[in-house]
Amino acid sequence: MTQFVFTFLNGITLAGLYFLVASGLTLIFGLMRVINLAHGAFYLLAGYISWTVVDKTNNWFYGAVVGALSLGIFGTLVYVLLLRKFQYEELRVALITLGVSLVLAQAMLAIFGGEYYQTNIPTPLSFTIPVPGLGLSYPFFRIFVLLLAIAVAIGLWIFITKTRYGAIIRAGVDDTTMVSALGINVQAVFIWIFFLGSLLVGFAGAVGGTTNSFGMGSDGDYLLFSLQVVIIGGLGSIGGVAIGSLLVGVIGQYAVGYFPTFAGIITFTMLILVLAFRPQGILGKKS
Amino acid sequence: MRSQIKYAIVIALAIAFPYITPDPDFWVSSGGTRALWLGVAALSMSFLNRNLGLMSLGQLFFSGVSGYIVAISSVMHGVKFGTSVPLAILAGTLSGVVIGWIALKTKGVYFFMLTLAVTLGLYSFANQAQEITRGHTGINSIPSPIIFGMDFAYVKPLYYLFLGISVLLFALCKFVERTSFGIALKGVRDNEDRMVSMGYRIMPLKMIAFVFSAFIASIAGVMGVFYVTNISPDSVGLLRSIDLLVIVVVGGATYLGGAFVGAVLIAVFEAIIQDFTVYYVGATGILFIVVLMLAPQGLMGINAQIRAKRAKSEGASK
Repeated sequence: MTQFVFTFLNGITLAGLYFLVASGLTLIFGLMRVINLAHGAFYLLAGYISWTVVDKTNNWFYGAVVGALSLGIFGTLVYVLLLRKFQYEELRVALITLGVSLVLAQAMLAIFGGEYYQTNIPTPLSFTIPVPGLGLSYPFFRIFVLLLAIAVAIGLWIFITKTRYGAIIRAGVDDTTMVSALGINVQAVFIWIFFLGSLLVGFAGAVGGTTNSFGMGSDGDYLLFSLQVVIIGGLGSIGGVAIGSLLVGVIGQYAVGYFPTFAGIITFTMLILVLAFRPQGILGKKS
Repeated sequence: MRSQIKYAIVIALAIAFPYITPDPDFWVSSGGTRALWLGVAALSMSFLNRNLGLMSLGQLFFSGVSGYIVAISSVMHGVKFGTSVPLAILAGTLSGVVIGWIALKTKGVYFFMLTLAVTLGLYSFANQAQEITRGHTGINSIPSPIIFGMDFAYVKPLYYLFLGISVLLFALCKFVERTSFGIALKGVRDNEDRMVSMGYRIMPLKMIAFVFSAFIASIAGVMGVFYVTNISPDSVGLLRSIDLLVIVVVGGATYLGGAFVGAVLIAVFEAIIQDFTVYYVGATGILFIVVLMLAPQGLMGINAQIRAKRAKSEGASK
C-alpha cells in the first residue's frame, strides 16, 4: 500500500515536471509548425546554468530566473540565426535542431564533464508534509513542482485563448498574410513564441535539475520523455501535453516500481496502443 | 552505359583500396570497413527517403534488434553464427512489420519524430533490462565469424566481406527500384491520392518498402557487431542515430549512392579530426548544420543545385 501511494505521488509530481518540459515544445510546434529536437539539450543547458548560478549566489530563485531567461534568449538566437529562413520546411528545421543538439551536447560535455549534478532545494521549501493515513511524509518540493505545472498550464491557457496577444498569435498562425495586412508584425510574433517556448524549457531545466540529477545523456532522456508526451497527447495541444504527462509520468513510475526490467517497454507499448487507435494523439487535430 | 562505367570504377577503386592507401593498418579498418558498415545502415534510410519520401530514424532500432540478438545468443548462450545471424536478420526484419504498422500511419515530421522515439525506446530498454542486455556495460568481446576457414578477425577479409555485402545490397536496391513495385512506390511518394484513385492499395506498398529497409538495417546491425565486436545501449543511442542522419544528409538524402559517399566522408572526417580534438562529434554537428543550410541536397546533389541556380539566374537576366 505504501509503495502504491508513493509511486502514485512520484508519478503525478513527475508528470508536473514532464508538463513543464514538454509544454514549450508543443507551444512552438502548435503555433509555428517548428519542431525543436534540441529541446532535450535546452533542458540540460538550463540545468547546468541554474546549478552554476545557485552554486555562486546560494539563491535558488536567481538560478531559476537566470536559467529560464538565458534559454529564452538562446532559443531566440537559434531561431533567428538558423531556423527562420527555412521555417516552412518542417523536416529541414527538425534536422537543423538535431544538429544544434549535437553541438550543444559536446559543448556541455567539454565545460561540465561527465559527472552528474543536482541543484539544492531552496531552504524555505525544503520540508516534508505528512501523507494522510500512512503516517509517512513526502517532500514538499515535489508537490511544489506539480503546483507550478498547474499554474503554468492555467497561465498558458488564459494567455492563448483569452488575451489579445493570444488572439494575434493564433491568427498569425492561421493566416500570416492577412495578419500582416492588419499592420501586425508577424515576424516579431514568431520570435516571441520561440522566446516563450524556450523560456519554458529553461524554467523546466532549473526545476527538474533540483528534483532529479542530470548530466551527460540527460538531453536524450528528456527529449524522449517530451516526444512520448506530445506524441501521446497530440502535438500542438496544451491539454494534450497535460494528459500525455500524466499518462507517461504515472504509468511510467508504476512500471519502474513494479517491473523495472520492462519499464521502457511498458511506456512504449502505451505509446503504440494510443497511436494504433489515434495516430494524431489523444487531443491532436488531424492534419 | 555511363553510369555502369562509373560503378565499375568505384568498385575497382574499392577493391584496390587496401593496397593503395597509406598506413593500411589504420585506414582499411577505420576508414574503409567502418564506412561500408555505416554506409549499409545509411542505405536503408536513403532507400526509404528516396522512394517514399520518409526520413526514418527507426533504422537503428532494427540494427539494434539484430545486433543484440547475435551478441546475446553467441556470447551468452553459445549459439553458432550459422544459426544466430539468419535468425537475427529475420527478427530485425519482422520487427519492421510492427513498427511499420504504427509509423506508416504518419508522415513527414511526425514520422520522423515517431521513429526517433522508437529508437530512443530501444536505448532505454537496453539500459534497463540488465539481465538480458547487461545494461550499460553492454556485451563485449564478441568473437569474429570464421567462414570456410577464413578468419574475419583480420582487417582485410572483413573489409572485402563488407564490400561484397555493400555491392550486393546496393545492386538489390537499384533492382527493386526498377521493378513495377519500385515504380509504384515513387507514385505513392509523389501523389498518394492519385495512386489510390488508380486502384493501388497504398498501405501494403509502403509496408513492403519499410520492411525491406528494415531488412537492410538488420544486416547493418550484424555488420556493426562484427566490426565493433561489442554492443551497448550507445550503439542505438541518440548520438548514433544522428550520426547516420548526418551521413545520409551530407551524402545526399535523395540518392542511393549518397549513403556511401556520406559514410566515406564522415569516416574520413572523424578519423582525421580525432587527432585534433576529442570533441569531434561537435565538429560533425557543425558540418551537418552547414550542409543543411547551404546544400540541403548533399554532396551528390551539389551539381544539380548549382545547375538549378544558374538556370534561375539566366532566366532572371533575360
